[in-house]
Amino acid sequence: MASSSSSMDRVSWRAQVLTRHLQQPSSSHSSVAPVLESSVCLQYAPPELSEKFDFDVREMRQLMDGHNIEDRDWLFGLMIQSKLFCPRNSGGKVFVSPDYNQSMEQQREMTMKRIAYLLDRGVFEGWLTEKGAEAELRKFAFFEVIGIFDHSLAVKLGVHFFLWGGAIQFFGTKRHHDKWLKDTESYVIKGCFAMTELGHGSNVRGIETITTYDTSTGEFVINTPCESAQKYWIGGAANHATYTIVFSQLHINGKSEGVHAFITQIRDANGNICPNIRIADCGHKIGLNGVDNGRIWFDNVRIPRENLLNSVADVSQDGQYLSAIKDPDQRFAAFLSPLTSGRVTIALSSIYSTKISLAIAIRYSLTRRAFSVSPNGPEILLLDYPSHQRRLLPLLAKTYAMSFAANYLKAVYVKRTPAANKTIHILSSAYKATFTWHDMKTLQECREACGGQGLKTENRIGQLKSENDVKSTFEGDNNVLMQQVSKALLSEYIAAKKKKKPFKGLGLEHMNDSCPVIPAQLSSSVLRSSKFQVDIFCLRERDLLNRLASQVAERQAQGESREYAFLMSYQLAEDLARAFSERAILQNFLESEASLSVGSLKNVLGLLRSMYAMVSLEEDASFLRYGYMSTENDAAVRKEVMKLCSELRSHALSLVSSFGIPDAFLSPIAFNWIESNSWSSVHN
Amino acid sequence: MAVQSVSGNTDQVLVEEHSCVRTIILNRPRQLNALSFQMVSQLLELFITYEEDSNVKLVILKGEGRAFCAGGDVAAVARDINEGNWKLGAKFFWNEFTLNYIMATYRKAQVSILNGIVFGGGAGASIHGRFRVATENSVFAMPETALGLFPDVGASYFLSRLPGFFGEYVGLTGARLDGVEMLACGLATHFVSAMRLPLLEEALFKVNTSDPAVVSAIISEFSEQSSLKATSSYHRQDIIERCFSRRTVEEILSALEEEAATGADKWLSETIQSLKKASPTSLKISLRSIREGRLQGVGQCLIREYRICCHVLRRDVSKDFFEGCRAILLDKDKNPKWEPSRLEFISDDMVNQYFSKVEDEEWEDLKLPARFNLPASAMAKL
Repeated sequence: MASSSSSMDRVSWRAQVLTRHLQQPSSSHSSVAPVLESSVCLQYAPPELSEKFDFDVREMRQLMDGHNIEDRDWLFGLMIQSKLFCPRNSGGKVFVSPDYNQSMEQQREMTMKRIAYLLDRGVFEGWLTEKGAEAELRKFAFFEVIGIFDHSLAVKLGVHFFLWGGAIQFFGTKRHHDKWLKDTESYVIKGCFAMTELGHGSNVRGIETITTYDTSTGEFVINTPCESAQKYWIGGAANHATYTIVFSQLHINGKSEGVHAFITQIRDANGNICPNIRIADCGHKIGLNGVDNGRIWFDNVRIPRENLLNSVADVSQDGQYLSAIKDPDQRFAAFLSPLTSGRVTIALSSIYSTKISLAIAIRYSLTRRAFSVSPNGPEILLLDYPSHQRRLLPLLAKTYAMSFAANYLKAVYVKRTPAANKTIHILSSAYKATFTWHDMKTLQECREACGGQGLKTENRIGQLKSENDVKSTFEGDNNVLMQQVSKALLSEYIAAKKKKKPFKGLGLEHMNDSCPVIPAQLSSSVLRSSKFQVDIFCLRERDLLNRLASQVAERQAQGESREYAFLMSYQLAEDLARAFSERAILQNFLESEASLSVGSLKNVLGLLRSMYAMVSLEEDASFLRYGYMSTENDAAVRKEVMKLCSELRSHALSLVSSFGIPDAFLSPIAFNWIESNSWSSVHN
Repeated sequence: MAVQSVSGNTDQVLVEEHSCVRTIILNRPRQLNALSFQMVSQLLELFITYEEDSNVKLVILKGEGRAFCAGGDVAAVARDINEGNWKLGAKFFWNEFTLNYIMATYRKAQVSILNGIVFGGGAGASIHGRFRVATENSVFAMPETALGLFPDVGASYFLSRLPGFFGEYVGLTGARLDGVEMLACGLATHFVSAMRLPLLEEALFKVNTSDPAVVSAIISEFSEQSSLKATSSYHRQDIIERCFSRRTVEEILSALEEEAATGADKWLSETIQSLKKASPTSLKISLRSIREGRLQGVGQCLIREYRICCHVLRRDVSKDFFEGCRAILLDKDKNPKWEPSRLEFISDDMVNQYFSKVEDEEWEDLKLPARFNLPASAMAKL
């Protein structure tokens, strides 16, 4: 026994020596066997070999993804294992991505095939028939993962489940739920959502489609009275959808009762277009060609009375209009609630898009070199250039900040109560606009940061730009949404002043406190303190809200209507909506940070939060314009951004590795791009 | 031909030299060449030496007797731990996984001749290498779930990369595959009839390059087409795809039972039986490990598997591994009493624990050697 354990020790000691030997970087190796290539040719070195990992990437991913990690990985795996997701080998790794070189028609068919595959494997089980926060979070997780693969696939599913399915859930009553939800979940029917018209997009109240009621047959009659009333951009309408929700003005006994929603069949089960329906294609688009957007005309289409989605209002057999909500404004607001879920999912998916592009661009910048500082000196890694850090790392910090804010929005949404509707509406509007703008900005910067490689479709970032551009327009134009945010804040302000009550909700409670005082001298430690950051963000919001209110009041005093006065104050409104969003994001970030115990994870999040705050201070001219900061302070902030860049540099790889996006969903330049571009790979 | 024994006191690993080729022979035939601590360390030393020795171009690995390798010497590991030292067991896995990693990233061609049993650790010592030659005598299996363990040795990497969800099937049920099946699913790169092995080796001895294309061409000269048996599970890809793609072990089982309800047959009932006999805890950690492995590199896979191993050895959540060793290897009553006894008794938190860091000040994650300037041929062999 003794001898065997001593031989064991000897062997294990030997193994240790060998392992240590192996772990040494190659300096000693190369002296034994000089590697000729290294002096004349570039070699790819995985960044993992040189970068440090100061915190547990797994833990950070848990924090960022927030929920259903195992389910997400399952779905990623489902996609990787199927030929339908176009797995391609490049540089010794497998990547999945749609073939964007296919024709529009082919891409649309692929989208449907992918849906069928995921459906068969149970991905959509419970998406409409299961209730509760847990089911809803799982659905969000799956939807996020699907969006990481392809925006067309996500949009096609989003239309079917969230818009068509959501409309039935929210506007319909039991008879609709029983009849449609299960069949929707199993794709017995394919739904679409006909709201937008050629003449009316964000202004839904202005749509021109008209529905009347025929008492003699007990049917509604839907009609497209003019060309501008044709339904437009209807996802799923051009090829696949069999049913649609039609949004239309309802005319009863010659009186318009406002916008209502109806279920109408547009194709039979074999895909033939129904009588009195005309459908045309919206054609090729700059992106999202895997979605069949179409146009629909209704030629006095008759549908049964039961097809009115009647949770808010109904029409009796004998043609009487019945509604519990008397105020048409409120009735209209109730109709728009499904769009909230759309805005939530768009906000969430934008953040994942920024994660894909940052992971690719930062990984590339850790392996690609350019120029030397001294003649014949070694070339410098892109991310070792302070200017390159300044381009990418603030965007990384913003993505982290918005990721926490997105988790907060999700949490509020799944736990929603009728009382929270206003908050959800405002927050989802603000975050949808802010995140999608951040996404487009990030994609462009990352594309440029990858140089020519960013132009290749296989490297994803460039393609993502055109695939995601629509996010700033659909489910509410970003500018319109941001105006709604400041309009809502103004209403809160006016209400609080009128009722002489403190502000409550939307994070506006700080308005009740005394005005924060910003120190004259901003040292590094002050700049990095959460107190200062919150104070100055609150100061900006508070002052802009005061200014907007007084400007509108002044104009009203001069005889302008409140609407017109608001419209003319668009500059302040824009600044205010931004101030609100950035303050809310900062607070969400701080709340997530507070939930962590002291350690390396919390430290790096502190750096990211300070970067988020500093870069927001640096970028928004409001701080100087309205004097919240002196020009000296502004200089201190800029200096701090530089310092934070250099401090975050060493965490860059671990920060993008924490995004939880599998390698297969990144792209060849994120890995061995020399090998993936080698001659030997040309024929494989 | 020069035959050397590497270790002074035993001959568990033999080496033959033929100009640029080294043949390593696992020489513990009575234990079906099960890898002892000593063998793992010797293999590690040899592989590292040969990689740096520019005179060596090719490494052949084979087994003495009727097995290639029946796996790690788990019984010995379990014995160590029963004597109170889980860290000794952890050391074994540390070295074994390091060896797996070296093979997976090896700069030179490794040809493993799988003329017999290839179980568990035996798969780890071969599948990661460039060429795997199966024969009519090959029997492959990852039988860990029946032992209260999980497919380790980088199996979460190579199983998850098999076509469709075949890896989940092989990893969870411990199903045995023959040589033709190994070739069909990609676990083997070539199929050569056992009779022609001496000729193949003779031809390989003449190799003086590490170019995988050259080596592959030589093996291909001896390879033959052989067709799958009618009863092969590889013909069941459709059912496997439908059932083993499901999200959880419970859903996989109920999908199989649904299939059985509409058309019961021997294959289905055997598959269901093997899942029901396996440790429920093992099934859950195995599925999760394979699913994570599908998204990770081989290094990350081994690091995660090492974590899981340490939790298994420490009996942090379940003692199934020891119960499995008792029932299958020691008492041989083949009637393990798993605890928790049913899938539904195992919470997500319990599974999570296997994937978390080990709470022990001296413990650290598996540190794999940094591998610089790897040629393309050293990457992604599956």
